[in-house]
Amino acid sequence: MAGPDPTWYLALAGFLFTIGALGVLLRRSPLIVLLSLELMLNGANLALIAFARHLGDEDGQVFALAVMAVAASEVVVGLGLIVAMARRRLALDVDEMRSLRG
Amino acid sequence: MTAPLVASSAGDVLVWVVWVAAAFACVASGVAVISFRNPFYSALALIGNLASLAVLYLLLAAELVAAAQVLVYAGAVVVMFLFVIAYLGGQADAPWAGGPNVQKLASVLASAAILAEIVAALALKAGDRLSRAAQVSSAFGSPRRIGQLFLTDHLLAFEITSVVLLVAAVGGVVLGSHARRVDEGEEG
Amino acid sequence: MIAAAWVALFLPLAAAVAVAVAGQAISRRAAGWLATAAVAGSFVASLIVLAEMLSRSASERSQTSVAWSWLTAGQLNIDLSILVDPLSVLMMLVVSGVGALIVGYSIGYMDGDDEERRFFAYMAFFVFSMLLLVQGGNLLLLLAGWGLVGLSSYLLIGFWHHRPAAVAAAKKAFVMNAFGDATFALSLFLLIQKTGALDYASVFTQAARLSDTVLTLVALGLLGGAVAKSAQLPLHTWLPDAMEGPTPVSALIHAATMVTAGVYLLVRTHPLLELAPEVQDTAAALGTATVLAAGLVALVQTDIKRVIAYSTMSQIGYMFLAAGLGAYAGAMFHLMTHAFFKALMFLAAGVVIHALAGEQDMRRMGGLARLLPKTCAAFLVGSLALVGLPPFAGFFSKDPVVAAALARGGYLGDALFSAALAGVFLTGLYAFRMVFLVFSGEPSPFVRERLHHDHGEGPRVMLGPVGALALLSVAGGWLQARYGEHGWGAVSTWLQPVAEPVVEATAGQEIVVSVLGAASGLAGLAVAWWIYGARRAPAPRPLPALERKLFFDEAYDALFYWPAAATARALYAAVEEPLVAGSIEGISAGVRRLGQATRALQTGLVRTYALVIAASLAVLTVVLVAVR
Repeated sequence: MAGPDPTWYLALAGFLFTIGALGVLLRRSPLIVLLSLELMLNGANLALIAFARHLGDEDGQVFALAVMAVAASEVVVGLGLIVAMARRRLALDVDEMRSLRG
Repeated sequence: MTAPLVASSAGDVLVWVVWVAAAFACVASGVAVISFRNPFYSALALIGNLASLAVLYLLLAAELVAAAQVLVYAGAVVVMFLFVIAYLGGQADAPWAGGPNVQKLASVLASAAILAEIVAALALKAGDRLSRAAQVSSAFGSPRRIGQLFLTDHLLAFEITSVVLLVAAVGGVVLGSHARRVDEGEEG
Repeated sequence: MIAAAWVALFLPLAAAVAVAVAGQAISRRAAGWLATAAVAGSFVASLIVLAEMLSRSASERSQTSVAWSWLTAGQLNIDLSILVDPLSVLMMLVVSGVGALIVGYSIGYMDGDDEERRFFAYMAFFVFSMLLLVQGGNLLLLLAGWGLVGLSSYLLIGFWHHRPAAVAAAKKAFVMNAFGDATFALSLFLLIQKTGALDYASVFTQAARLSDTVLTLVALGLLGGAVAKSAQLPLHTWLPDAMEGPTPVSALIHAATMVTAGVYLLVRTHPLLELAPEVQDTAAALGTATVLAAGLVALVQTDIKRVIAYSTMSQIGYMFLAAGLGAYAGAMFHLMTHAFFKALMFLAAGVVIHALAGEQDMRRMGGLARLLPKTCAAFLVGSLALVGLPPFAGFFSKDPVVAAALARGGYLGDALFSAALAGVFLTGLYAFRMVFLVFSGEPSPFVRERLHHDHGEGPRVMLGPVGALALLSVAGGWLQARYGEHGWGAVSTWLQPVAEPVVEATAGQEIVVSVLGAASGLAGLAVAWWIYGARRAPAPRPLPALERKLFFDEAYDALFYWPAAATARALYAAVEEPLVAGSIEGISAGVRRLGQATRALQTGLVRTYALVIAASLAVLTVVLVAVR
């Protein structure tokens, strides 16, 4: 087998996913939360592609492309929301949006 | 392009070198994304992250995905980010400001737990099964194969993806125009 | 004959429905005339039935007509049928004849009331219910009529529904009657179980093979129903209160319908009762006790209608006595003459009340003889007939009842005889106390002030029925004029094929009773004249026990109402409050506390939610890995 095992790729994917999750959990700026979400999605994509290679089946790559499309859609909607918030002169801070508080 | 990498042992070393470099760049840029105070830098770091991932995809014989990663992700999505950040201004919260609190502590703990679990699962349960990769032809991951799959086996997923994109586009327009109306109302 | 009987049954119902449906489309007066015409039509149809029956031989006079099979359950088959026989024809004539006079009288009496149409619809419905009761071809239809009579009496007693007293009286009548309905229904259930039939013929033929216990229970149930419907001790308390209804309603309830239903039931089911002699004796004893108790209470009442009401109880007591003794013709004949003179007294009292603009207290009346001469004469006739002086109707009908008690003999017979004679004395006393209080002497100041001089004694539509009833009260008795084998005794002969009498007084006994009865009545009259007419002696102070109507209401309150109310309160405090209300409040309070506690979790912070998701993912991964 040339190069590293899928295990290494998967570990890297997990690491990337964890970094993204940490960003989502720690940051208050909605922009950076969205960026962190991209990191998580890319972690998942890496895992998908690693498995596709391991199994010799391109379905994983197809799935990764679909995830990319969905991620692009999510960014459009997310950024649209952020722009709308800014237009309403709301603070760009996820902690400030707590109308759901019980 | 992938065939030589699979063949020789000198190639193996080169692959390892490339892998280590790409993985390091990937983790470093990932950490940078979540650490910068300025979202503009974060977005730039994300470009680096995406590029390093594209390299890894190439190592995994996923040429089309690597190309799409660079073109669509780094080229289009992140550029959109940059436009919005430029529009809104570059200030954001400092990630570690204010010292540790319950939320931060718990976040780190949860993330660490997830990572530990992934690693533990890989090390303890999956070692043997992942050791031998399938032999693949040089056409693996080529645009022709992927395109064939999209238009045959995964046609439904393909079409649904297109609908999702359409909905997102319409949603973006609606959000933007709605915000403009509110603006006018407040000004008027 | 049968067709006429069906017509007689359904004409009043048709009128009731027509008046109810027509509503404002017909004038109030037209509603009254429609109801009167329908009831009178019933009377004519009954006369046709009578005429056709007279043309047949005595053994062929009973006839059943089945409209259709109503209920079929296994062996039990109940037809919607009517029974036409001498007994039911007699009742039909009394009910529709006296009823027609009373309904006609109401046209004048109720003139100007706000809801005349409703009144006449109820009246016609009442007559229909009573006709269904007497014509029903089986015990279930009898019970149906029984219940409908209770319902219509409830509606009519509470007719003035804006008066709380009227509503309370209506409820009281309904509840007391429902008690009787229940015992009646229970005895029908027992009959269905034991004989599998409810039509008279099958029940009576199979009754002989039933055990004594069953027969006694069935007879007791029937007696309970009769006692409640006819307002006999101890279920009588509703009747005096029922005077809250309009006076024609009182007349209808007391004279033609309702209270006579109990007597009819005892006579109709006499084959069953004769198999349970103890129950028959109980009926006779209860009747006699009612004669005395009601007569005593009537002595102290001040409301003119209540005096007449108690006299009704007392007279129905005589009918129960006769029915209990087995003198069925005596019971039915007294029922008939009582219908005449009691309707007469109520209607005449109604004229007085009407003339005094609704005043019913006798203490404020007096001296009305000169102001209302025709009414006074009619009332006097009614009272003489009530006391049973010759030649008025009561003389011919009451004496055979008392004579039957003498003829029965034995301790019980003698006791009943003496009590019945004492009852005649009381009747004379209370009836003429009323007559003297209302009519004799000088007009009281109240009368002079309140009497409507302009409209005289009332419209012709009111005085006509009064006159007709006065005539019947004078002449009606001669139908049955008989001493021993002499005379003709039309009613006894007529009822002979349906209800063979058990006791028959000898000519000597009848003469003795006639003399003693007339003497007791006269004695009562004389005492009344001495105290209330001539005022030679001061009126004795009424006994508190009598003024309180022998404490029956208080006893019922203590026995039933207070324990029930106390139980309800205790259950409310001990069960409903803590368990039902408490559990609901506890649950809601618990939910609210839980919500208060959990709302702290709803921080509204997106990052917290994301953290929860991440933590859950961590936990779930552990679980999944561990499980695999």
